[in-house]
Amino acid sequence: MRANRFSTSRFSLSRAALIFATPVALATLLTACGDNGSGSAVVVPAPQPSTTGTPTPTPTSSTIAYNVDNCFTQKIQGQTGKTTTLEDIIIPDTLKLDFTRPTRFPNGRHPSDPVVDILLATIFLDMSASGQGPNTLASIPLDPPSNDKPFSLDFPFLAAPNGAPLRASGTGSNFDFRTDADAGYVIVDRMGNPAVATALIRGAKKTEYNDDNPTVDATHKYLEEEKEDLTDRFVSIGDDLVGLGLKICATTS
Amino acid sequence: MRRIFKTLLAGGAATAALGGLFLLPADVAVSADHLDPPNRTDAGFDTTPDVPADIADVFAWHSNGTVKIAMTFAGPVATTAPLYYDRDVLYKIHISSKDPGTTDEFTIKARFGKGAGANDWGVRFEGIPGVSGTIEGPVDTNLEKDGVKARAGLFDEPFFFDLIGFRETASFGTIRIRNDRNFFDGQNDTALVFEIPDANFGAGVDNIEVWGQTLRFGGNL
Repeated sequence: MRANRFSTSRFSLSRAALIFATPVALATLLTACGDNGSGSAVVVPAPQPSTTGTPTPTPTSSTIAYNVDNCFTQKIQGQTGKTTTLEDIIIPDTLKLDFTRPTRFPNGRHPSDPVVDILLATIFLDMSASGQGPNTLASIPLDPPSNDKPFSLDFPFLAAPNGAPLRASGTGSNFDFRTDADAGYVIVDRMGNPAVATALIRGAKKTEYNDDNPTVDATHKYLEEEKEDLTDRFVSIGDDLVGLGLKICATTS
Repeated sequence: MRRIFKTLLAGGAATAALGGLFLLPADVAVSADHLDPPNRTDAGFDTTPDVPADIADVFAWHSNGTVKIAMTFAGPVATTAPLYYDRDVLYKIHISSKDPGTTDEFTIKARFGKGAGANDWGVRFEGIPGVSGTIEGPVDTNLEKDGVKARAGLFDEPFFFDLIGFRETASFGTIRIRNDRNFFDGQNDTALVFEIPDANFGAGVDNIEVWGQTLRFGGNL
């Protein structure tokens, strides 16, 4: 197992992991605990999710004004060198890998890293609060903790494809490659960090963002966009997070 | 919803912490980079989505004296999907080994080419650090030159995340997210994978920055 550079939560992680293993278990919690924590342990299965259409969400509203500047500049525990803040991690939008330290996102990215849980904690939580850190959610875990197939320690590292898909022959020669100059191509997509383009850049800016490059990122062209987007997230859920006893990285007025 | 939160709080701080996240808007962290930008790669927004040029993920990690880099694309797709080797797409992996990290010292390029047989497809890599010329050969085979290993081919989709639970939680306002359900489970991606010795990046280099890019010949679909 690779070293974990981040602090662990003060919460009871093993208990939380058990509680959140399935909706059924969660339903058990909801029915077993009254407001005072008492109640009978009656298991009521939660409804199974559907992949069909869902009704329009009714987001929570808030009149609180949020300032997310601190979320971008707060120090990330366990980080040294260049990747010390969220802003430094995502601007420019590149994966930053220091060979001298163990790989775990945001120091590079191994396929087994639970990047969604790490990112959610990093963008919403106050990293200076006791018990909160980038691994708070991943340690529970919130999302699946690992891939459905194990990764190999040996090249090519990724697991074999599922099922019996159509495959190339794996043979042949004299392949017909294009030799056109790069000028004949137009940009379709770019990616550095996981979920930045998808989660912190809103629809109107997405194409422009993908057409740009890290040099443009470094001018902070998209910082305000990213702050506005994150502010919108806090307007939706910030009061709930605070109400739940979490320390958020945004300041309020 | 408030009733649920109140009950969750009774269950403990960790429980409460997770309850808040169940309210996230549906479009937060819906993927690593799959189907982005949507008006070029997502069938929900584009009648001609460019699946082969849609980057899914970029990985870069280090161990035992080598750097491993992988870029997945054209996924996740079902096991019944066609081949997504496209002669008109140029794949680039940019690597910066010096300050500023915004410009690349190395640009790995990959292209696919058709062979004579019905399912004969080849890949040509150029610009790999420490490799003279190109590495070329059939896809779905390990290729090696100058101490570098390279492969293009079909793999299991490596990303894991409960996308369904995330979206349903946002829609219904009830807890649906699960850590035992992976939307990407059982699906596949196409990928470029490299293992490169540290020395190939230059003497004294121990920090790099990596980003991926796809381009289509002649314009977007």
